[in-house]
Amino acid sequence: MAYVSMGEAHRRITEYLNRFCDAVSYQDSSMLCRLLSFSSNSPSLISLADALNVFQDASSLIRQSEKFSEYGEILAHLFRSLQSYRVGNLVEAYLAFDKFANAFVQEFRNWESAWALEALYVVCYEIRILAEKADKELTSNGKSPEKLKAAGSLLMKVFGVLAGKGPKRVGALYVTCQLFKTYFKLGTVNLCRSVIRSIETARIFDFEEFPRRDKVTYMYYTGRLEVFNENFPAADTKLSYALQHCNPRRERNIRMILKYLIPVKLSLGIIPKDELLQKYNLHEYMNVVQALRKGDLRLLRHALQEHEDRFLRSGVYLVLEKLELQVYQRLMKKIYIIQKLSDPARAHQLKLEVIAKALRWLEIDMDLDEVECIMTILIYKNLVKGYLAHKSKVVVLSKQDPFPKLNGKPVSS
Amino acid sequence: MNRGSSSSSYGSGGGASDSFRRRSDVARKRNNKGGEAAAAAAAAAEVSFIVGTCSSMCPERERVTRERLRDLSVFERLYGNPTKSSTHLAVKKFCRTLSAADVQASDIRPLPVLEETLSYLLSLLDSREHPFEVVHDFIFDRTRSIRQDLSIQNLANERVIHLYEEIVKFHVISGQRLQGSSGANVSSMHHLNMEQLAKTLTTLYNIYDVNRKPDYIYENEAEFRSLYVLLHLNTSSGVMGEPLSLWFRKLTSNLIKSKEMCFVRNLLRSYRNGNYQSFLRTTATEATYLQYCISEPHIREMRSFAVECINNVCYKLQPYPLLQISQHLMMKEMDVESLCQECGLEIRTDSDGCIVLPTKQTNFRSPKEGFKNYDLIGIDIGRLL
Repeated sequence: MAYVSMGEAHRRITEYLNRFCDAVSYQDSSMLCRLLSFSSNSPSLISLADALNVFQDASSLIRQSEKFSEYGEILAHLFRSLQSYRVGNLVEAYLAFDKFANAFVQEFRNWESAWALEALYVVCYEIRILAEKADKELTSNGKSPEKLKAAGSLLMKVFGVLAGKGPKRVGALYVTCQLFKTYFKLGTVNLCRSVIRSIETARIFDFEEFPRRDKVTYMYYTGRLEVFNENFPAADTKLSYALQHCNPRRERNIRMILKYLIPVKLSLGIIPKDELLQKYNLHEYMNVVQALRKGDLRLLRHALQEHEDRFLRSGVYLVLEKLELQVYQRLMKKIYIIQKLSDPARAHQLKLEVIAKALRWLEIDMDLDEVECIMTILIYKNLVKGYLAHKSKVVVLSKQDPFPKLNGKPVSS
Repeated sequence: MNRGSSSSSYGSGGGASDSFRRRSDVARKRNNKGGEAAAAAAAAAEVSFIVGTCSSMCPERERVTRERLRDLSVFERLYGNPTKSSTHLAVKKFCRTLSAADVQASDIRPLPVLEETLSYLLSLLDSREHPFEVVHDFIFDRTRSIRQDLSIQNLANERVIHLYEEIVKFHVISGQRLQGSSGANVSSMHHLNMEQLAKTLTTLYNIYDVNRKPDYIYENEAEFRSLYVLLHLNTSSGVMGEPLSLWFRKLTSNLIKSKEMCFVRNLLRSYRNGNYQSFLRTTATEATYLQYCISEPHIREMRSFAVECINNVCYKLQPYPLLQISQHLMMKEMDVESLCQECGLEIRTDSDGCIVLPTKQTNFRSPKEGFKNYDLIGIDIGRLL
């Protein structure tokens, strides 16, 4: 830590206090944002923190002037938090920031206009980030992490403050997204339900009024929830919305959306072009897509194994596994096409033995009982049209459209 | 308020737990640093945990009260006397309204006593004197009280893990036996049993996670984690509330690659793709006893699904022989008959004397809940037990 003289420390602290109070008086939101962004690690905040650690009794400075003491409580907690943050006591930093945030929100409520909304966003963001860091510190000390959960409660409080009829309500979606990020990180995604319900059914909210950036983030997270719950049509709608409205220059965000949208589309029988996968660096899906195109079950299984960790971590593994039935369908279609070329009159009869042989070529060993089982399921789920003549161990395909396309509907359960 | 000594908190070596060795060949090197730091932290923190001092299975004052109020279970009565029990028979009841403030150390049983208590309770499982529902009810309540004592003392070490694992086993095996019995409240008992199974599993998982050394999994952890998957095969039946995809994210690499997890993931894939053949075969060859017990409802589900598909898909002029169905579904032929009946399907005898299922029947219905489970032919019971 840099050496700071008492005089210099005094100067820096007073300068900050002036900036803060002026920002509030003149409703200068962007100034206020800069003053609260701990995670930006800006030189001015760092130098302020150093000054606080030297001066030690900033509260006396605050009390001395009427201008400052009006926001005494807010500033005292903020300073304490910054001090702890600077020396790496993240749990302490969190606790103080939590108190600051509470005091700040109280003040925010009293301001009639929504001028400080951006600053409130910063507070919400910072508290989540601080909480994550504090939890890391707790776990590394063998204690149980609970600060992120606490941050979640605070964010809910903020949501409540914004959920009213006035102009502040457009901030609710931003806070919702911070809540989503919190719950996703904690794994308690079922808690998303109540905020979603508020946003989507409360009459004070008009979805179109919210800022575009927040709408995209909202649809991204709610789309992901639909993926977890395997509601593919709903997931498609939401993630597609996010994709459509996302700033095309934000390639990282587009990639994130596509990471979930692609498995959803695949489940609906819609296959992306290779150029898309290449442009956004989604090579993990290339073999999956290829397997679907070629009916190559071995390739699908191999692709899932190769990227198992990645797919499990993003939560799409189970979705991709279910594509097996579509791969089988494609394989059957290939067999049918080949048969049509050599013996058109009998092409519509698929012998179970022939299917078993095709699978053996793909290094998949399946006895006739299991082949029969697979064909039974394919027909039942309308991926293959026809019937099973089990005595003759043959699947008789319908003459018309024996391999119906999914056309945007998921395979029936 | 008593202060917790280090032997009762996270995993550090207290005297008793050092002498306790499980059936494991691998000596586990315990890094005591974490344990001491945690104990110190607990001592420094505002919360300190009670250390129980009750030396019998039931606190004296509770036993005396219940004797007076004639609130003794049949298992607790001395020579059948509804007003008299003994320290060898009375077991502490579960009390819902327990708040940490009112609790005295003399009401709480320390770990060794809890171990004895559980051991005693489980020995009652084979009792033939009373109907199974009564046995289940008693053990259900008293193990819940054991869990309460464990949690109030914030105990979490390998011995505690063993206790929770045994209690999970009780819920699983008991649940299976309840399915097969036909008493009046069986279905609500079964439901409550599943609820407590879920709670016990959740606590068990938390203890596995507390103070976990990197890349370390406990002896039975893979199997007990796999039970979660089996309870959630069906995405719409959120027994414990979290979608499976989310749950898998948190598992360590070691767990994912374990034999038990690979087995249930295979099962999960077969289940979700409707592949009843693979599902049944894999279960028969690889399931442990616990996994099998939990899978029974899904085995049943897959079998009725198979019958539904066969009925739907097969050539009308070729009725399907039940013998073949029985082979596919790994059931006795007469059980297939019974299953078809449950599904509202008619069967016939053909000209060769074989029993067959005419296909394309229109009145298929899913069998009702709570019917008996049919044996899985081909499962090696010896392997299971």
